[in-house]
Amino acid sequence: MTALAVLIVLAPLAGPAAALAGARARLAALVQSAGAAVALGCSIALLTTLNGGRPLEGWDGFLYADPLSGFFLLTVSGVTLLAALGSISYVAAQEDTGELTGFQVKLYFTFFGLFASLMLASLETGNLGLLFVLVEGSTLASAALVGLEGRSRSLEAAWKYVIISSLGVTIALAGTLFLFYSASALHPGSNLALTWPYLFAHAHALAPQSVRLAFLLAVVGYGTKVGLAPMHTWLPDAHAEAPSPASAMLSAALLNTGMYAIIRFLAIAHARLGGTYPSAVLLSFGFASIVIGALFMVRKGNFKRLFAYSSVEHMGIIAVALGFGGTLGLYGALLQVLNHAVAKAVLFLASGDVSLRYKTREAAGVTGLLTAAPVTGAVLLLASFAVLGSPPFGVFLSELTIVRAGFARGIPAFSLLLLALLGVAFFAFARTITSMVTGDPPRPAPASPYRNRAAVAVTAAPLLLGLAVLLVLGLWIPAGLDATITHSAAVIG
Amino acid sequence: MRDVQHLSNSSTAGVLLDLSGAVMLLLAFACLASKLFNRYVVYYGAQSVVLGFAAGTSAVAFHSTELWILAALTLAVKGIAIPVAARRVLVERLALKRDAAMSTGLSTSLIAGGALTAFAYLVTRPALLPQGTVAAAVVPLSTAVILLGALAMVVRRHTVAQLIGWLIVENGVFLGAITLVATFPFIVEAGIFLDIVAGVLIMIVFVSGLTRQLAQASATELRELRG
Repeated sequence: MTALAVLIVLAPLAGPAAALAGARARLAALVQSAGAAVALGCSIALLTTLNGGRPLEGWDGFLYADPLSGFFLLTVSGVTLLAALGSISYVAAQEDTGELTGFQVKLYFTFFGLFASLMLASLETGNLGLLFVLVEGSTLASAALVGLEGRSRSLEAAWKYVIISSLGVTIALAGTLFLFYSASALHPGSNLALTWPYLFAHAHALAPQSVRLAFLLAVVGYGTKVGLAPMHTWLPDAHAEAPSPASAMLSAALLNTGMYAIIRFLAIAHARLGGTYPSAVLLSFGFASIVIGALFMVRKGNFKRLFAYSSVEHMGIIAVALGFGGTLGLYGALLQVLNHAVAKAVLFLASGDVSLRYKTREAAGVTGLLTAAPVTGAVLLLASFAVLGSPPFGVFLSELTIVRAGFARGIPAFSLLLLALLGVAFFAFARTITSMVTGDPPRPAPASPYRNRAAVAVTAAPLLLGLAVLLVLGLWIPAGLDATITHSAAVIG
Repeated sequence: MRDVQHLSNSSTAGVLLDLSGAVMLLLAFACLASKLFNRYVVYYGAQSVVLGFAAGTSAVAFHSTELWILAALTLAVKGIAIPVAARRVLVERLALKRDAAMSTGLSTSLIAGGALTAFAYLVTRPALLPQGTVAAAVVPLSTAVILLGALAMVVRRHTVAQLIGWLIVENGVFLGAITLVATFPFIVEAGIFLDIVAGVLIMIVFVSGLTRQLAQASATELRELRG
């Protein structure tokens, strides 16, 4: 089991190794995809042993994996695989046109692999101090990806991202510190007082005032990484400026890693303080994010910013679901994590193809996508409806569960508010997307950015794969996944 | 008396820690009140040296090797390496002198700083910490340092000033850590230092890139506007 856990973290480093050995974009991306596939396979293998079995513990609590970690490992490694597959044609096309130099390609794969590896590692540690270290490390690696293109706009976005996120995560470190302090009456060794399973098991003996402060600071701090409003300001810029596969990683993997950290703090706070206080905190930040996300989606502009604001909205929905709590709320929250991750990865990868073809990231410059690039256009349209919560896709199911959770908790007003905001988001988002896919393509028709038909097929592969997963999750939740989510929800309490 | 949680604020170590906290707060105010990039770096370096001294004080009081290592690392990395690097690579090479990119006047930001300090005492004093311990005396100070660093990041728009602001926030968290829990486990401590160093390096790359592009942009503007 330990070997599996280690392999999950090491496998994504295959890409950096290939790039540093001098492989060109296409080969490095293939190796990266193979590494990600290994990580995904190991995650699934680890998950099946964790389901119903004992959690994996080792190295003085620095290594710890329970079904909750397993679930997030599955999500993040799955997204990494999609993004790595998407990198094959995207980065190679940029290398061919000379938009990215050989050095930039090398940097891209180095930091891509490092980013994935650090995120996966942060999901496998039981030590909350090490969790901080790894999350901050993943911020730095992904900041390099945001600033990769080197134009002043991308450097500015990268700066904004790295400075705001670093400040946020430092606040989370202060929260970690207070949680550490809250256990001082127990006189544990210095390692144990930061080890999540120990703290969770002894939650009743923690100092309640410190736990309150720790939870609030953790939500503000890690919430900055998640993109909860009002700490979300770095998010649209970073998502818009990063290369598209990297945007997919940011939106679908990084935000979820932050949410995972919040869930760990939530479990302890819930066990010590009861449901009221954590609920109030999460519902406030959650609804603020949904409102901000939905309102900013109304503006037509850069389509990658549109997707980014949709991420803010969805992270808000997940926070609200965690705030609703109960079996339904937690189940819905985790299901939403997975569904949103797949849908958003597909959308950002599709946006990469669109921006390569149309040479613009402005929605106003894109028309007739269904005619110019039928596969990408259709995927973009379907994935948009999926992310907006239309049946028969997975997001519909998870959002329905979350709305039901609100009713089950006896706060129907919140559920109705959530439904209304989802409606606003639907119209705002769909308006931009329909104008992009319908109509006539501009003349002269945008030229294909790819070398040959094989490259076109490779572009379509992760899009169709992701869309198929979304459809399956909407119609049928595999028994293993259902067990994982149920067990994970039980971990949170 | 093995735990820092029970260290009283009237013991020698307690008084020295309290004093270090107060000096660090003053240096944070000095940074907030300054307009010269050189001074930012000097004040930050001095604050880090005081932080190293505080860690050394704890190390003597608790005979802890980990705290000695922390003190040495703080002095070497935050007290010397980062200020020297920031001065050489940023302030001197980019020829930064006066910081003009402020969103409020100096007096306004100082008043806001004073208010934040009072706020820090208000939120951390009651109930949270047992009276009479060194933590009850120093944690409000460290909270104030954190808030002042964050304030500097908000009122200053220049990237170098924001970088220094973040480092001051980090110092505040470390001061709190020394008095609340002595140290994090060694691996975590080492990891945090590694993050800070990597963070400063990558931020220096972004800052230099941005400043150079801004300079180029204004040079092109000048050429376009001639004659």
